[in-house]
Amino acid sequence: MHRRLGVLLGLVVLAVLALLLPQFGGDYYVHIFALVFTNVILAASLRPSLTCGQLNIGHSAFMSIGAYTSALLAKNLAVPFEISLLGGALLATAVGWAIGYPSLRLRGVYFAMVTVAFVEVIRLIAQLWVPLTRGMSGLSGIPKPSVLGMTLSTRTGQYYLALVLMLATLLVLWKLEHSRLGLIWRSIGMADHLAQSLGVNIARHKLLAFMLGCFFAGIAGGFYAHFIRFLFPPEFGFLMATNILVYNYVGGRGHFVGPIVGAVFLSLLSEPFRGSPYETIFFSIAMLLTILFLPGGLITLPRKLAELRWWRTASAPTPSPAA
Amino acid sequence: MTPALFVQSAIIGVSLASIYILMALGLTLMFGMMHIINFAHGAVYMLGAFVIYYVFFQGGAPYFAAFVASMILLGIFGYLVERSIYRPIKGGIEPTLVALIALTTFLQAAGYPVFGQLDKHVPPVFPGTRNILGVGISIERLMIIPLAGALVIGLYLFINKTRLGAAMRAIEQDKEAAALQGVNVHVVNGLAFAVGFALAAASGALMAPIFKLDPMMGEQPLLKAFIIIILGGLGSIPGAILGGLMLGLIDSIIATALGAEPAFLLSFVFIILVLLFKPTGLFGYAP
Repeated sequence: MHRRLGVLLGLVVLAVLALLLPQFGGDYYVHIFALVFTNVILAASLRPSLTCGQLNIGHSAFMSIGAYTSALLAKNLAVPFEISLLGGALLATAVGWAIGYPSLRLRGVYFAMVTVAFVEVIRLIAQLWVPLTRGMSGLSGIPKPSVLGMTLSTRTGQYYLALVLMLATLLVLWKLEHSRLGLIWRSIGMADHLAQSLGVNIARHKLLAFMLGCFFAGIAGGFYAHFIRFLFPPEFGFLMATNILVYNYVGGRGHFVGPIVGAVFLSLLSEPFRGSPYETIFFSIAMLLTILFLPGGLITLPRKLAELRWWRTASAPTPSPAA
Repeated sequence: MTPALFVQSAIIGVSLASIYILMALGLTLMFGMMHIINFAHGAVYMLGAFVIYYVFFQGGAPYFAAFVASMILLGIFGYLVERSIYRPIKGGIEPTLVALIALTTFLQAAGYPVFGQLDKHVPPVFPGTRNILGVGISIERLMIIPLAGALVIGLYLFINKTRLGAAMRAIEQDKEAAALQGVNVHVVNGLAFAVGFALAAASGALMAPIFKLDPMMGEQPLLKAFIIIILGGLGSIPGAILGGLMLGLIDSIIATALGAEPAFLLSFVFIILVLLFKPTGLFGYAP
């Protein structure tokens, strides 16, 4: 009961801080945090797939599909933002099905290799289909997001939109993870043959988890397109895909908040060198160190520190409490 | 497409195929033993090419000395990667893959400050062209075929005729049983890393005089190698060789006719079809 109260209090404080940020921070922080929220959506949407033990190394491709579809629908056909956003996400989901169906039936590594190649495929298509996407000149002139016919022209309005999209995504993913479906995903990740012997259709559930991720990656991409209002094919390359993976691993795989912590922490920490090669160096070192020395991710850090303190004070070692 | 152009692109296709095969063989060997895909293979290819740049072009050493140096240096690097990344993770396949991806992005990103922003070029080692069936082919590209072929045969003999190769095959069949027979699994895995890395370095070293050098140069060959092992079936060495030949030819002939990017897109569609209808690869067996 105590614990639950603490969690609730923490959430309220976070919510108040998020709501008040535009009042205290300038446009710079509003901009940065809207992007952080996009990263949180991306990181959290990869989690169902990872829970099933499927290494999706091409998540940015689905973000790219969502971004380009939504941008082109709104720009060329004057489709309202809500519908273009949904259209982009649905196309990303459909493409996810087409890629996932053939490759998810086999061992995980096939899927991993296919997703890596798929990032390159989407980048090339965005680059070569010049009449539609403007290729390497980049797609500009994307309309600002609007809600119910009202254009969100200020950075603050767009910030709140990002906040709402993120909260909605997290709510859906949280509910699913704590439903029967989430239990099935975990069982597949732990022992897929055992799950299969209990009557779980593992290929179908892996595909479902993957497509769910594609949908929300499409949402993140759609928001990004209307927020930044300029799309450039190489942006959604292999590096962004690995960053999404890094958020999950550095944050921690064991709990729902892991990817959220990872995305917020790393996005803010890497902000000073965004766009330079040092950003990637920073990310890869963070990833290597976490995997080697903190396999549970940042969310296990408090417990690790507590254990360490306990070790220092106690003279004799006893079996670890994790067992 | 004229017949001459066809012959030319077919020969270039075979020489490309030899590079892809060298890459894919290392990946397949490591997969067979440890069930991991070495995502760092492309970065090692890049480093192999840069060793040629610094030792052969800048250092003035003979090409073959630089070639051997490249293989040895990166072979040692491979052993160290096994020691410091693969072994501490203790067989966790997924964390190992993620760690190897992190290593790749680190090597690529660190390449820019270390090697400089500008593309590097290595002068030709075998200048001139040779007339084959009425078309001129650069000797540089032709020489790749026997050199890579020698390495493939060397690998075959190593795996099938030496005690160490037998240990590798034993681990591939059953790791625990191999350990019970006295095979030091850690050391042999480390050597497999070394062999895989050395083969990737050799591919990079062979390509250095032909393509421009930059830290991202390993991406394309890595993706090609992935396509080959999906085509040929994971863990299968004949599959890797046949898949490599197929992809090299398709790649070169279609690239000549339509351009490099459509060729890549087409090969991706091809592997999706293979996965749909023959999921274990054209020459693979059920996992």
